[in-house]
Formats: sequence, C-alpha cells, structure tokens
Amino acid sequence: MARPGLTDERSRGTATMSRTELLADGGNERRRRRLRRWLTITLFLLPALVLFMLLVLAPIVIAGYASFFKWNGLGGPPTDYVGLDNFRTLLSDEVFHQDLWHAVVLVGLSLVVQLPLALGIALLLNQRFRGRAVFRVVFFAPYVLSEVIAGVLFTILFDPETGVKFAQGWLADPNTVLYALFIVLTWKYFGFHMIIYLAGRQNVPQELLDAAATDGATGWQQFRHVTLPLLGPTIRISVFLSIIGVIQLFDMVWVLTTGGPVHGSETLAVTMFNFGFKRFQVGYASAISMSMFVISLVFALIYQRFVMRRDVQGAITVMGNQG
Amino acid sequence: MSQVMRAAHAGRRPRPLRTMLVYLLVIVLGLTIVLPVIYGVLGGFKNTAQLSTNGLGLPHPWVVSNYSGIIKSGTFWRAVGSSTVIAVGTALIAVAVGACAAFVFARFAFRGREFLAMLFAIGLMFPPAVAILPLFVLLRTFDLLDNPLGVVLPQAAFFLPVTIIILRSFFRQIPREVEEAATMDGCSTFRFFWSILLPMARPALATVSVLAIVTSWNNFFLPLVVFNNSDWWTIPVALQQFKTEYSTDYARVLAYTVMAMVPALAFYAVAERQLIGGFTTGAVKG
Amino acid sequence: MLSLTRRSVALGAAAMLALAGCGGGGGDKGGSSGGGGGAKKVTIEWWHIQNTVPLRPVWDQIAKQYMAQHPNVTIKIQPIENEAFKAKLTTTTQSGKAPDLFQTWGGGVLKQQADAGLVKDLTQDVQPWIGNLQQIALKPYTIDGKLYGLPFDNGMVGFWYNKKLFKQAGIDTPPTTWTGLLDDVKKLKSAGVTPIAVAGKAKWPEMYYWSYLALRIGGANVFANANNDFSGPAFVQAGQKLKELADLQPFQKGYLGADYDTPNGQAATVGLSKAAMELMGQWAPSVEEAQSNKKLGDDLGFFPFPTVEGGKGQITDAFGGGNGFAVGKDAPPQTIDFLKYFLSVQSQQMAAATGAILPTAKGAETALKDPRALEVLKTVSGASAFQLYLDQAYAPAVGQEVNDQVSALVAGKASPQQVAEAITKTAKSQ
Repeated sequence: MARPGLTDERSRGTATMSRTELLADGGNERRRRRLRRWLTITLFLLPALVLFMLLVLAPIVIAGYASFFKWNGLGGPPTDYVGLDNFRTLLSDEVFHQDLWHAVVLVGLSLVVQLPLALGIALLLNQRFRGRAVFRVVFFAPYVLSEVIAGVLFTILFDPETGVKFAQGWLADPNTVLYALFIVLTWKYFGFHMIIYLAGRQNVPQELLDAAATDGATGWQQFRHVTLPLLGPTIRISVFLSIIGVIQLFDMVWVLTTGGPVHGSETLAVTMFNFGFKRFQVGYASAISMSMFVISLVFALIYQRFVMRRDVQGAITVMGNQG
Repeated sequence: MSQVMRAAHAGRRPRPLRTMLVYLLVIVLGLTIVLPVIYGVLGGFKNTAQLSTNGLGLPHPWVVSNYSGIIKSGTFWRAVGSSTVIAVGTALIAVAVGACAAFVFARFAFRGREFLAMLFAIGLMFPPAVAILPLFVLLRTFDLLDNPLGVVLPQAAFFLPVTIIILRSFFRQIPREVEEAATMDGCSTFRFFWSILLPMARPALATVSVLAIVTSWNNFFLPLVVFNNSDWWTIPVALQQFKTEYSTDYARVLAYTVMAMVPALAFYAVAERQLIGGFTTGAVKG
Repeated sequence: MLSLTRRSVALGAAAMLALAGCGGGGGDKGGSSGGGGGAKKVTIEWWHIQNTVPLRPVWDQIAKQYMAQHPNVTIKIQPIENEAFKAKLTTTTQSGKAPDLFQTWGGGVLKQQADAGLVKDLTQDVQPWIGNLQQIALKPYTIDGKLYGLPFDNGMVGFWYNKKLFKQAGIDTPPTTWTGLLDDVKKLKSAGVTPIAVAGKAKWPEMYYWSYLALRIGGANVFANANNDFSGPAFVQAGQKLKELADLQPFQKGYLGADYDTPNGQAATVGLSKAAMELMGQWAPSVEEAQSNKKLGDDLGFFPFPTVEGGKGQITDAFGGGNGFAVGKDAPPQTIDFLKYFLSVQSQQMAAATGAILPTAKGAETALKDPRALEVLKTVSGASAFQLYLDQAYAPAVGQEVNDQVSALVAGKASPQQVAEAITKTAKSQ
C-alpha cells in the first residue's frame, strides 16, 4: 500500500541528517517497508490462491490434459494419446451441432423474452406500492429453489396425462421440448436478472425523470429516452450473464429431460455429462468441456472488447487512480 | 443522495388508476410465478389417487399425513441441519478467504496483479462437472470424503471468483482519503482491513454470503459424490433419494419437495433486504 | 465504477449459475477396510440399488443374520438409487477404488472394471459352491473364462400383456409371429386400446425391441458374431421391422417423455390397464403393481417375443439378464463368505418370496408365489440361447449408442440404415 503522506513526513524529518546517513536510513526503511508490503500481499493472497489452484485450476488443467487422450477413466492416468482426434470427432458430431443450435435458440429466446420480462417486472417493482417487499420475495423465489425441486414441479405440470391442459406433453415432444425447457428456465432464472435490473434502476436519478415529465414526456418516452439509456451498462451485463449461463446450462435440463427426447433439449454440458459418466469416454467428455471453456472465453473476450468496452474503461480509470 | 431521491419520490402525487394497474399486473404475474409452487403445496395435501384423477383441483379430502409425517421424521431435519452447516461453512470460508484476496487486488499495486485476477476469473468459464473426477481423487487423498469439509472447501473454492470480483470492486470504492486518514492514525494494514474496510463493505459481504449460501443449499452433485454416510446428506440429495424411495407415492414426494423449499424461502425472506440492499447500495455509492 | 460493481455482482451470479449448473458425478470411498481373516474385526462396505421395498428390508435382514453369526464382521450397507449409484460408482472406480461389494449387471461394464483391476476374480474362491447356482445365469459375469460377479437374480425379457384388454380387442391367443403382433396392434388400436407402453425417456426399453428383432432375424449368435459391425442385413432389417411397428403409432400418449418406473411411466401405464402390453424383464409385474397401486392379478400374462418370418432365430432364444454383485479388489476375504451366505437357498428364498427377483440358487424357486414368475424362470432355464441386454453386454459407450439410436429410430428421427451405421461407428472406435 502506498503511503505518500507518511513518506513525506519522514523525509522532511530527516532533512538535517547527513547525505550518506539519509541514503542509508531511507534505503533500509524502504527495503523494510517493501518487505512488509510483499509479506502482506502474500499472506492475504495465499489462502485464496491455494484453495483455488488446488480445487479449481488443477482439475481444469487435468481435464485439458485428458482431452488429448482416449481414456475411459478407469485404471490410472490416461496413456492412449490421440492428439486432436477428440476435437475432430466433436466437430463432425451431429449432437454437438445440435447442442450449439439449442444454445443459439435459448440465447435468442432469453434476449427477446426473458430479459425484457425481467426488466419489465423490475420496473414494476420499482413503483411504490404497499406490499412491494412481499412481491420481491415472490418473484425471486424460483431462483432460490433448487433445480431438483423445480424439476419435480414442472415434470408434473407438463405431464402428458395429468398436466396442465394446454401444456400436456410438451416435454415429451422433440418439437416442443426446447420451448418448454425455456419456459422453465425463464421461471427459474428471470428473478436473477430482475434483481440486477432493480439495482440498476436505482441508478436512474428521479430528478431526471421528473424533469422529463415536466417537459411533457409521456411514460413511454421517459422510459425510452431516460431510463433505458441509463440502464445500458446493466443490460449489457445481464445479457453477458445470460449467454454464459446458457452455454453452461446443465442442472435444470438434467432433472427435467436429461436432454431428450431424441436429443431435443440436449445442451453442451448434458452431452459432456453423458459421455463422461454414462459412456465412460472421459477423454472425449473432457474435449467437450474444453470446447465449452473456449467458447465461453472467446465470447467473453469479444463481448468485453466490443460491447462492454465503455463500461470496462470506466473501471480501468478507477483502477489507475487506485495505483 | 439516496435520501434526496426518496424525498423527491415521496413528493409525487399519488395516482390511484396507475396504482391499480400496477397491482393488477403484479398480482397476475405473481400468481403465474407461484402457480407451480401452489400446485406443489396443494398436491402434498392429496393422495396419489387424487393426484392422478384430480391433478389440478383442490384436495378432497385434505390429507395432512404427508406433511406431518415429514415434519416428524428425523431424517428430514438432519438434512436441513447438514445443509445449514455446509452452506454456512461455505459462505464463511469463501467470504473470509475471498475478502483477503479482494483487498489485496483492490488496494495494492503489484506486478502480476491483473494476471492473478484474470486467473480467478477463468474459474467462471469452466463447467465444474468436469472438475469432479480429479477433485474426487484429491478429496480422497486428503481423507475428506464423508466429511463436510469435502463439500465445503470445493464449494468455497468454486465460489471464490465471484466473491473476489464483487468484493474487489466494493473495496475499490472506499475513498482513498479514508485509508490515508487511517494510516495517519497509525492504523496497520491489517487493522485498516479488519476494522474499517470490512465494516464499510458490509452490504457487499452480505450479498456475497447470501449468494454463497443459496448456491451451496441447492448443490446436488458434490454432496452426492462426497457423502456415503446418509447422516450428511443435504436436502437436494435427500429429496432425490426420497423421490425414488417413495416413487409410488407422488403426493408424499410433493410434500417433501414443498418442505424442502421452506428453509430456503424463509432464509431468503429474511435476507432479501440485505440482498437487494447490497445490490443497490453498491450501485448508489458508485 | 458503477457498472463494474454491477457487472461483478452479475458475474458472481453467473459463476453461481455455472456452479449450480454443473456438479459432476458421484463416487465414494471404495471402503475396503483391509483386515485379514480370523477373528480380526472387518468391515464390508456394501452398495446395492434395491433401495426400496420389498428387497431393501430383506437385504438388511440377511446382513443382520450374517453379522449375528460372525460377530467380527460389520456390514456397512449403502442402499442407493440406481442413477445415483451409477454416478457414485463411476467416480469411485475412476479414481481407482471400488466398494467391497456392489451391484453389477455383468457384461461390458464389468469387463472394463475387470480390465482396470478393480474387481476380484472369484473363479477359485467360489469353486466349491458355485454348482448351487444356475449355470446359465453366470454367463454375463464370466469374462474370458473368469468369474467376476455372482447373480442373485436372472431372467428374461418378454411381453407382459393384459388378457382382458386383449379379449376386448377380440384377441384370444397372444401372437407368435411378428406379423401376428402387428395385426394384434391394429386390432387393439381399432378397439380404442393403447397397444403398447414404452419409456422413451429411459430409452433402454426401446432397445429391447431392436435387440430381440435382430436376434430373431439373424439368429442367436447375431451379436456374438457381429464383431463390432452392426451394418449387416440382420441389424438393418431389425430397424425396418421396428419402424413398421412404430409407424402404427402403438405407444401411449407422450411416450417419448415417459420414464419406466414413475407414477406415469411405462410400468404404471400397464399396471393401470391404460396400455395392453409392454416388453419387459422378469421384474415387470412387481413394478407395475408398485407404480400403479393396482393388482392386475390373473389378468396379466406373459408371452415370449414372437419370431420373425424367415428369420434364423427361435422363439426359445432368450434375451435378458439380471442383477448381481461384484467384489472390489481390496475387499476383505469375508466378503466372499458373505456372498455365499447371501446366495444360499434360504436367503434366496427370502428374496424370491417378495416376487421382485427370480432366484439363481437352485431350489430357491419353490418360494416363488407367482405362477408367471415360475414360468419365466422355466423359460429362461430352458432357453436355447441367451443374450445379455445390449447396454450391459457391450462397453458403455456402445451400449448407450444403441439406446440412443434405437430411440431416435422409434421417434422417426433416424432411418434403420443410419442406426446401423452409427452403432457400427461407435463400436469400431472403441
């Protein structure tokens, strides 16, 4: 930690000392301080680094290594090196293509339906009315419930015989299952985006809206020209998270459909799980997870570079100040 | 500033028509959201025959034994207990360790800082399912199977990136002047961190803790893998077991499902203020 | 800064999503508890999947009796649900361990475990008493001439049908040929009865049709002689025949999303008389009853999979399998002694009396109360040939591919040709 104030005092205090004394003393002091600084950094960082490297990074690296092998996971470390074969197979695998397509569809639907819905509800809940807190709990509740619970509930609601009349059997039809899944996903996760928007909405100064209203702007115009632009950064984050979430989507699909029928709702993570835990093709499964990793990373980099650039730039300035 | 805002807000004229509309919308949407849950709650009061013949109607007659049986069962409460211990443990470790790291990332400039911060961020991009195999071997090596730490530590580790990213940006917002004043008063780095920075970041800490607890509460695979001994089973694992054990008795499974929701919802209802507060305080401060 | 704050919060939550999203498999301490023979205290870690009534209490009782007779042995019982068991066992075995005593179906999975040195070769140890078990039941557990597991249940797959519904459609005797079956399906349909229940979500029940058709067309050794090439005419024709059936739309509403043993699954559909038949193994009556809370009683009948005109297979060639236990490589020697006790006639009679298994110990069949169970047992004991379920017989990758492909075929998403090619491709890559 830089302590400019302190340093100034000290050097002024030692002004009467001889030049050599001053140098020697300042050097010691500086060295001692630098040592203490590094000691602090190390001590504060070490627990996190150890925990993270051992339990998160090491497994990731091992998975990366395994993706170059044909390996059923049994009987010790992999030995059958196959180079890029797993990735080649993956690229020509129809199920993998389908998974990617499903991701595109789910992302599209999320952007067009889920996020606007979350935004709308957030703005609604930002209105002042009695019982608002209760409704906030209600709308966020699905997000708090575990996927296993949501799975049980919706399996029954979509049941082909006894389910809700208009939705009967949606999960059982390869042509509708993806949309049924999307309904459940919206139900389960929109609350999360709602909260982000709710927080972002706090950022829109009421004065601005009042001023707009005084100028005769309608409610819609206020939203379109004041609220929405000011929510820009929030929306960009929400979009980012939504997309990363879709790429990694697993639990909800697994408990609801296990990816079926006929791969109709399969996602990358589900395919990966099938190969790793059902087919014992751990090398190939690792290749799938590496591809998920790369897709997420590339997307994140591009998105940060082109979409969130302004938001991030703000952050860098702050960082620079922090020095 | 927020007070100014609130004052301005409060000063606006109430518009009854608009309020009515808001209520209407909120109630309709709210009902849609709660419908599956209501269905579950009512389903728990039925028996299996009622469920198949009268899936969507009101129970007739009301069967209370499903719920009372679960409330009286020790295994359910044991699952609640171990879920609680594991969730709190996860949150404590993730937040404690993460706050230290976030502090250094936020307030120190040193070579390799951005690289290390990036390393943590990478943890967000990887499907944890793949990590489970190497993780399992590791846990066995350290003899952490059938030990709550075997779930707590990996969960905390996987939650670290989130914790660090959130706390780092909060710590950054604490004005430099505060730090300088503290230093002038002879505050050590650690004291500054412990008695000034952490209390100031309380909303952020609460937010992260709530998120960590919810994540841990809902986690299914890791506890499934780590715990042989059913004494340590968390709620999702216990629910899955219950589901297959009583697969014929769907009403009872629904009742169990509903009961499994209660602790999470109760916790959220209490923590909600903290959570939204955490989100919004951060926003307003910035 | 603002945006960063929120971005971070959001990112954090994204991580949460990811965390919540995936998780991983399962596995556990492969609890070998060391310990040699004699009166030394030993613990046997036992994982089984009979986690519900009626078998769970029977297993508990057998273990209790054994422990009473052998005070130095503690049996740690871990009943786990089937899918969770597979995930747990996968993780455990992949980390190089295995429980002392655990569920196996034999075949390809057991072979992989044996190849990896995870399970004990039992051939020598059980030599003195292996003659007490039916020899045909041991086949799936015998790999390269060595015995790696022992069955407590063995049976076969066939059609379980509702006599009342068949009568209602004017069918007096069950079909013995494929054409006859298709005709009966049409009759049932025109009588307003759903002919067949199948679990499209579980997939393996659909695999039974394709397997049996291939056996009936290509003969009993069609799979043994396939040599990883499933593109031959027998397999393609099996696909075509199955497509003929699927084209009649004989299955219950929403079958693609149906599981096997859930309240609205395949078994329950038959149990509630909502469908006239299902192709299923020896456990079918007990699951039908459990999932529907109804007894079909004498209305339920069994007939073997019909022959295909012009096919090489016989109606007596059986397809099926059962349940068994394998012994982990580090298991204490008492484990095998317990297995002997577990498979004794008395223990097997206790299990058979529940009606949930077909016992493998000779003489235990007297405890079977259900005449149909006895009939299946007799059919399988006298079978002219025996083929293990494909998803167990082959390496897991091939077995799952068969299930996936056949399921796609039934749903009309893949042609018989494509199915045969895809399975061949996976098999050859193994």
